[in-house]
Amino acid sequence: MHPAQSPRSLWALSKGETCAVLGFDEALPEPYRIRLMEFGFHQGEAVTCLLRPGFGAPRVYRVSNTVFSLDVEIARFVFVEQSELGSA
Amino acid sequence: MNRVLLIGSPNSGKSSLFNRLTGLNQRVANFPGITVDVASGPFAGMPDVELVDFPGTYSLQPISGEEAVAVEFFQRALTDPEVRHVLCVVDATRLEKSLYFTLQVIRECQKRGKPVSVLANMADVLAVNDLAFDHAGLADAIGAPVLLVSARQGLGIDLLLSELRQKLISQPAVSSRWSETPDELLRGSAHQLAQRFGPRGDVLVQSQLRLDSFFLNTGLGGVAFFCIMFLLFQSIFTWSAPVMDAVETVVMGMGATLVPLISNQVIADFVADALFGGVGAFLVFVPQIFVLTLVIGVLEDSGYLARAALICHRPLKVFGLTGKSFIPMLSGVACAIPAIYAARAVDSPWQRVMTYLAIPLMPCSARLPVYTLLIAVFIPDETALLGLVGWQGLALFLIYFFGMFAALVITGVVSRFASGAKSELPFVLELPPYRLPSIRPILRMAINRSKHFVTKAGKVILAVTIAVWVLGYFPNGGTDLGTSWLGMLGHWIQPLFEPMGLDWRYGVAILSSFLAREVFVGTLGTIFGIEGADDNMLPLVEQIQGSGLPLGSGIALLVFFAIALQCVSTVAILSKEGSFRLASRMLVGYLVTAYLLALLTFNVVEALV
Repeated sequence: MHPAQSPRSLWALSKGETCAVLGFDEALPEPYRIRLMEFGFHQGEAVTCLLRPGFGAPRVYRVSNTVFSLDVEIARFVFVEQSELGSA
Repeated sequence: MNRVLLIGSPNSGKSSLFNRLTGLNQRVANFPGITVDVASGPFAGMPDVELVDFPGTYSLQPISGEEAVAVEFFQRALTDPEVRHVLCVVDATRLEKSLYFTLQVIRECQKRGKPVSVLANMADVLAVNDLAFDHAGLADAIGAPVLLVSARQGLGIDLLLSELRQKLISQPAVSSRWSETPDELLRGSAHQLAQRFGPRGDVLVQSQLRLDSFFLNTGLGGVAFFCIMFLLFQSIFTWSAPVMDAVETVVMGMGATLVPLISNQVIADFVADALFGGVGAFLVFVPQIFVLTLVIGVLEDSGYLARAALICHRPLKVFGLTGKSFIPMLSGVACAIPAIYAARAVDSPWQRVMTYLAIPLMPCSARLPVYTLLIAVFIPDETALLGLVGWQGLALFLIYFFGMFAALVITGVVSRFASGAKSELPFVLELPPYRLPSIRPILRMAINRSKHFVTKAGKVILAVTIAVWVLGYFPNGGTDLGTSWLGMLGHWIQPLFEPMGLDWRYGVAILSSFLAREVFVGTLGTIFGIEGADDNMLPLVEQIQGSGLPLGSGIALLVFFAIALQCVSTVAILSKEGSFRLASRMLVGYLVTAYLLALLTFNVVEALV
């Protein structure tokens, strides 16, 4: 894949930005992928970054009607693409 | 006995519902072959039917050891002929999160012919926010009854109980609609069903976001966090203190009343010092455990505990800990015993062990008299920088900091090299909605935890107290500690402490401090022939200064007390909450580490002086 077309990770979302889940990095172990899907991070599902607390703290995302906090070590493995919904 | 299983994912309100259905009348249940303790209790109004509260989990596909135990427990329970029905709790306001798990539960129940009902909790929240939920449509779609209930307000509970009673009598036929459906299809179905039947709109998420914008704000959220932690710390130190004093006064008062009635001197001494002294020494912790459990319960039920974990996660992660370790560690600065109970809030078993490792190194209040004595002996009561900095205060700060630093270094090193850390789930934390806490279940939890301490740890503490009393009392009837069996032990272990310039008197004081660290001061006072050294240390300070104890020995003792796990109550509760193996390994590991570091300190200081 051309570098310009590299998918963005969930961790890169700015506050208030909404994207759709594109998939997961293969480096993310399968049980964690399944667990994220169980939480609602399905392909095509809208995810909004609600908060980016300071000092590298885990970030806060909304998926469906549930709010989760994800650390960089897992959020960087979730790929997202621009959503029609745009920013929240 | 007919049993009904209650199952649900975390934050679905399952525990509140359990308390509502059992009227808080619960006990610990056990299933054959399963080592997890689960709450159970008879249904309010159906005393012959027991409700079993299944440990909360997000999925029947476990990804951690603890989840695997919970899932195994569920699978075994389904084969139990006494289990007649399964109630699966979902949060009706956040249906998608719960529905995949619900379908998994339904599938497993259908495989084993167990009827299942779905309880859509939070009906009150739906009503207040005017959110529509087509529970009848969902029931048709999944082939299982769906009842709207509110654990908090009791809505739908009567209907649930009457329908359950009917089902237990009639034993309805169990469909097999989902019994062969693979997980992937269940996930897709759950998504579609939640979209079709679940409540729409984001009013709840928006109101949650407003509060999160404050509590997770880098500036204001930090101030709020500091204030809440300050209150928590006050609750353990200050609010518990009058009740702790009252407990001690009552126990000692009872002893003072009873002991004069005993004519035999040995029995009278035993009852006064070992029984009442021992009972008083551990009962005094009960108010702290109760208050801390209450405060943490309120923080958890309100939703703030998850936010506090998020705030603390980043700095603690470096040392193999999690954000949820912070509150137990902070509590450990007051006392390790309630702190170890507070570590139950850490979900991951591995990180809970790391938290257990850190807690005994936090500078607890029992260390303060020891530090105060040794600092007064060696550090002059002088100030610097125009009186702004006192050397004794600085020394106290440094030894406190040393304990906390050692806790982080040890957990950091252990988590780097131990295999358990590698199987940890990366940090994914559900942030539950903010709610007003339900006080009654939290009170019940605080009472249960206090009872657990008295009944489980109390026996061990009392046994060790009696053993130390016997060693210190015989063979000379308690007249001279130096010639008692404890004194002989002190002489026997003197070669261990000689390399750091300490004689048998310090060995005896260290041995007796295993009852509680502060006993070190009283024991040294007794050996040096000073009455009431606990209350007025000055004569003892002068005696030790006059005895020519080297500076290196004093600092070595400070280091030893900062690391060593010489507190029988802490070891006992670690053994009950963790395991005997963990407690004994920590006891030996910290003793050896403390000894070696103290030895090193002595040699370095003496070489420099």
